[in-house]
Amino acid sequence: MSHEPSAHAAHAPEWEVSVWPFVISFGILFALPVAFAFKFVYGLSFAAILALGIGTPMIVAGIAGWVKEGLGSHHGAGLAFPAMGWFILAEAMIFLSMFAAYWFNRLTAEAWPPAGSVELPRIMPLVMTVVLVASSLTIHHAEALLHAGKRAGFVNWLVLTMLLGAVFLGMSAYEWNHLIHQDFTTDTNVFGTVFYSITGLHGSHVIVGLGIFIALLLPALRGKVNTPFVKTASLYWHFVDIIWFFVVSQVYYW
Amino acid sequence: MRKHLLAACAAAAATASRAAEAIRDPAAGWDRLWHEVIIDISILGVAFALITAWFVLRYRRRNPNEVGRAEKLTAAAAVGWTVIPMFVFMADDFFLAANGWQLWNAYRQPPAERIEIKLESGMYSWDYTYPNGVKAQNVLKVPAGKPVLLRMTSRDTIHSHFIPDFRVKEDSMPGRVTFMWFYPQKPGEHIVTCAEYCGIMHSYMVGKVVVVPEAEFAAWYAQEEKKLADGGRQTKKAGA
Amino acid sequence: MNTWKEWIFTTDHKRVGVLYLIGSLAAFGVAGIMALLMRWELTSIGPTLTENPSTYNVWLYAHGAVMILGFQIPALTGFFANYCIPLMIGAKDVAFPRLNAFSVWLFYVGIVLAVLTFFIPDPPDIMWTAYPPYSTITSGNTAFYTFTVLILGFASILGGVNFLTTVAYMRAPGMSWNKLNIFVWCTVAAFVLQLIFVPVLGTAVTLISFDKYLGTSFFDPARGGDVLIYQNLFWFYSHPAVYVIFLPFIGVVYEIVATFARNRVFNYKMVVYGGIFGIVGLSGVVWVHHLYVTGMADWIRIGQMVTTLLISVPVGFTVIGLVGTLYKGAISFETPMLYALGVIFLFLIGGLTGIPLAITSLTLHLSDTYYVVGHFHYVMAVAGTFAIFGGVYYWFPKITGRMYSETMGKLGFWITFAGTNVVFWIMMDIGVKGMPRRYFDYAHFPQFENAHQWMTGGAALIGVGFALAVINWIVGAARGAKAADNPWGSQSLEWTTQTPPPPGNWKDVPTIREEWDPYAYAQR
Ligand code: HEA
Ligand code: HEA
Ligand code: CUA
Ligand SMILES: [Cu+2]
Repeated sequence: MSHEPSAHAAHAPEWEVSVWPFVISFGILFALPVAFAFKFVYGLSFAAILALGIGTPMIVAGIAGWVKEGLGSHHGAGLAFPAMGWFILAEAMIFLSMFAAYWFNRLTAEAWPPAGSVELPRIMPLVMTVVLVASSLTIHHAEALLHAGKRAGFVNWLVLTMLLGAVFLGMSAYEWNHLIHQDFTTDTNVFGTVFYSITGLHGSHVIVGLGIFIALLLPALRGKVNTPFVKTASLYWHFVDIIWFFVVSQVYYW
Repeated sequence: MRKHLLAACAAAAATASRAAEAIRDPAAGWDRLWHEVIIDISILGVAFALITAWFVLRYRRRNPNEVGRAEKLTAAAAVGWTVIPMFVFMADDFFLAANGWQLWNAYRQPPAERIEIKLESGMYSWDYTYPNGVKAQNVLKVPAGKPVLLRMTSRDTIHSHFIPDFRVKEDSMPGRVTFMWFYPQKPGEHIVTCAEYCGIMHSYMVGKVVVVPEAEFAAWYAQEEKKLADGGRQTKKAGA
Repeated sequence: MNTWKEWIFTTDHKRVGVLYLIGSLAAFGVAGIMALLMRWELTSIGPTLTENPSTYNVWLYAHGAVMILGFQIPALTGFFANYCIPLMIGAKDVAFPRLNAFSVWLFYVGIVLAVLTFFIPDPPDIMWTAYPPYSTITSGNTAFYTFTVLILGFASILGGVNFLTTVAYMRAPGMSWNKLNIFVWCTVAAFVLQLIFVPVLGTAVTLISFDKYLGTSFFDPARGGDVLIYQNLFWFYSHPAVYVIFLPFIGVVYEIVATFARNRVFNYKMVVYGGIFGIVGLSGVVWVHHLYVTGMADWIRIGQMVTTLLISVPVGFTVIGLVGTLYKGAISFETPMLYALGVIFLFLIGGLTGIPLAITSLTLHLSDTYYVVGHFHYVMAVAGTFAIFGGVYYWFPKITGRMYSETMGKLGFWITFAGTNVVFWIMMDIGVKGMPRRYFDYAHFPQFENAHQWMTGGAALIGVGFALAVINWIVGAARGAKAADNPWGSQSLEWTTQTPPPPGNWKDVPTIREEWDPYAYAQR
């Protein structure tokens, strides 16, 4: 061990800290397992709301604090993009296993669709596809504008993307509502189970994507843009878009 | 299809005793293969262990500054040390696989002249139904010298019908039909136990296979059938 | 900031690593106590410690789930990966330090959930495999199992993303792929497996809770579902998971063996490109060997018998590399090396006893008996835990800056070594004779009572040995002698920084010379 004072050692290195990961983790504990267990296992709705009330603010505050810290430091920023690539691999496997469960059930079934299923709409999914593809193009354009240095244009196209995403979700909700009124629900039969699980899983990814965009938009309105972060978010959005093609082809039109 | 034809021809041609000889009893095959595999893996294990032990004794550090002297492998040596073990291991693997597959065929191709019994498992009992409709719970009476095939399903959770003495088990589960067969040759009793975790009383889900001489079985079987018929008549009467 | 805050909120990879270690050892303690309770229960036929079979089943559930998900995977891919990888590749930290801190706290949330098992009125009793339909009809709280898996799995995926990025982009100048420590390779491979397969497990367990609490019908045959989907998804993850455990632990053993034999790793490229890559390549196509008795189609059972047997080739490469590293070495026998040598012998037993299980027709008798339990305890519970304990001893001076007691370390080793062989050898023996697993009571197998009593005795011995090691660490960390920077005379990069390493790891990020190699002893 050598302790000669060196020129750079004017400030001794310090242990870096951040409270936000801790806050989010325990927020998740309350908002997910505890709330779910209260509601669905023990039937205590009020306690579940309480748990959500504790957990959700912790998560939101944690994300906000984290994003703020992240914008300040450029630690690892350039690596977010390849890291998202790995993350998408994991995400793709979730969808693959859902589809595998679906195929396993469907291909061994005696008759398909099983009794109790209803006719799925034909036009709506096409419109939804168009909307989602359009949103992929708009985020791409937003990115291009950012590269060209046009901040204002970037913000506009980002907002447009988010609108398209919201419209997509709206249509999805409308369709669910419509089907549920026809008495086609998760427990109707295995097709209902699969239909709602897969479209729901995809929809939740759209929601997460919109959440990421909000985390981009709010600082951007105040003039702070982290370009690698934008690139990463857009990669995720393209992934969500591509998965939709599988959902459409496998669930709606097969 | 062709297999069925062949089996039919073979059955027609052979006398009863010759056919019995031709039945490959998986339990005996199991014991044979098990010993073969144990010898195989023991040789491998002991060889590796001895080499390791020898190196450990031979290359102890004698003074504190000594370092290892292994040279870098030449390219040829590196490839050789990869390819040769690979082929040795693969050869052994394929040998084991071939033997395993052969025994597998014995397990999965039940002989044609068999008695076929339905099994429904439930928390926590084994419910058997004989071809003539006679039912039995937890005690399966079968004749000596005749292969027994079980067609199995379950009404609740997954169970596994395990007969250690016959070296066989297979799961029974809701929504699917599975089968297993075994070949009881001598009179005697054999434990049946549940080998798939199925609930709180899993470890108490026990039954037995009772093998009796063929004549005794036939008498019992006819008697039960008659009882069943009488019982049916009686309930009908009671209902009327 | 005071010190405890610097620990709790730390984003430094070394401290995150130590948090992982503390959490996973606590989990080991809890799950080990469950094991002792189970062993106690099994000392006699009929109820012994508890009247209620359900209590035993909860212990067994907690034992299996916590040992695998709460102890070994976090200790190997959490603690060792965190502590060693940045140091071994010459980085200042991981790519995303905050994400790293997030992983460790998610891990703690998972542990909290798992421990809640003992405080809720309806603890899960579904075994770590959680097969439906039982897991969807039990009165136990399946949701807690689902969320434990989801949260630990999410932590693992984030860890994987983080470390794969770190190794790919943050190696010190000159650190080429062929100069990486074997441990780094092993861990990279393990993380690739985690990224690909954990999501499948996550999906599987989520679907059980959907079925149980939200009324879906994935696994309900009455409404068109199929019970075997779950088993396929579960094992599609959980077989690769055994290599997520195996790879890092054998990596740790490589580091120890190379250092204490002061020798070059034998045939490095065979180990990496044949062994490690081969295991990753084959691990995804052998899962059906856990479903040999479930009535899957014959062709797939036979096909996967062949692939399962072929896994012995890459695994064999890693064993050859390990044994070869001893050849012409200069071996000394401090505690870490004893554990490492123990692993070689015990893993041989464990791995080779997997071979009969791989053969479909033999498994028709062996499946779900204590033979299987013996197999995986040898290979995972014993070889794996020995590697973890040896690794902790090995890096102990670096982590704490102090030395442990060598005498106590060796004593602990020999006690556990004796104990494990008693327990797990007997298990294999009674398994072949027909003793089924997951039995609260073995009233109809009275012939095994004696064997069970021996095993309980052996288990107590194991407990004493492990407890000695843990005590040794606690005492050593508090008041051991000061350790040198490189007490073992290792060549590997992590020993070249000061002890314990400062924030940021290095004063100047090391530059790797052309001729340097983590195992280049003979050139010195
Ligand atoms: C770290 C964990 C780990 C590891 C590495 C392994 C490694 C192996 N396992 Fe094991 N296994 C488990 C953990 C592990 N297992 C667990 C936890 C279970 C039970 C889960 C449960 O049901 O709860 C299980 C169950 C299990 C089963 C299912 C049994 C059943 O339920 O019916 C099978 C069947 O094939 C199997 C086989 C194998 C094989 C072939 C290997 C191979 O990878 C071993 C390869 C190693 C060697 C072969 C030795 C070294 C090689 C040589 C010396 C070269 C020469 C050798 C030959 C040519 C043969 N294991
Ligand atoms: C890594 C995994 C791991 C490890 C290490 C162990 C360790 C042990 N296991 Fe475990 N076991 C499993 C994984 C493991 N097991 C799994 C996956 C199953 C299957 C579950 C299922 O069927 O679903 C199983 C099942 C299983 C059974 C089968 C029960 C049955 O089928 O009915 C038995 C029976 O004896 C058993 C015994 C033991 C024993 C005696 C130990 C001993 O080695 C344990 C010794 C350790 C201690 C006694 C703790 C030591 C104390 C300290 C270290 C000090 C405390 C420290 C702090 C508080 C910080 N185990
Ligand atoms: Cu029936 Cu276990
Ligand atoms: Cu496996």
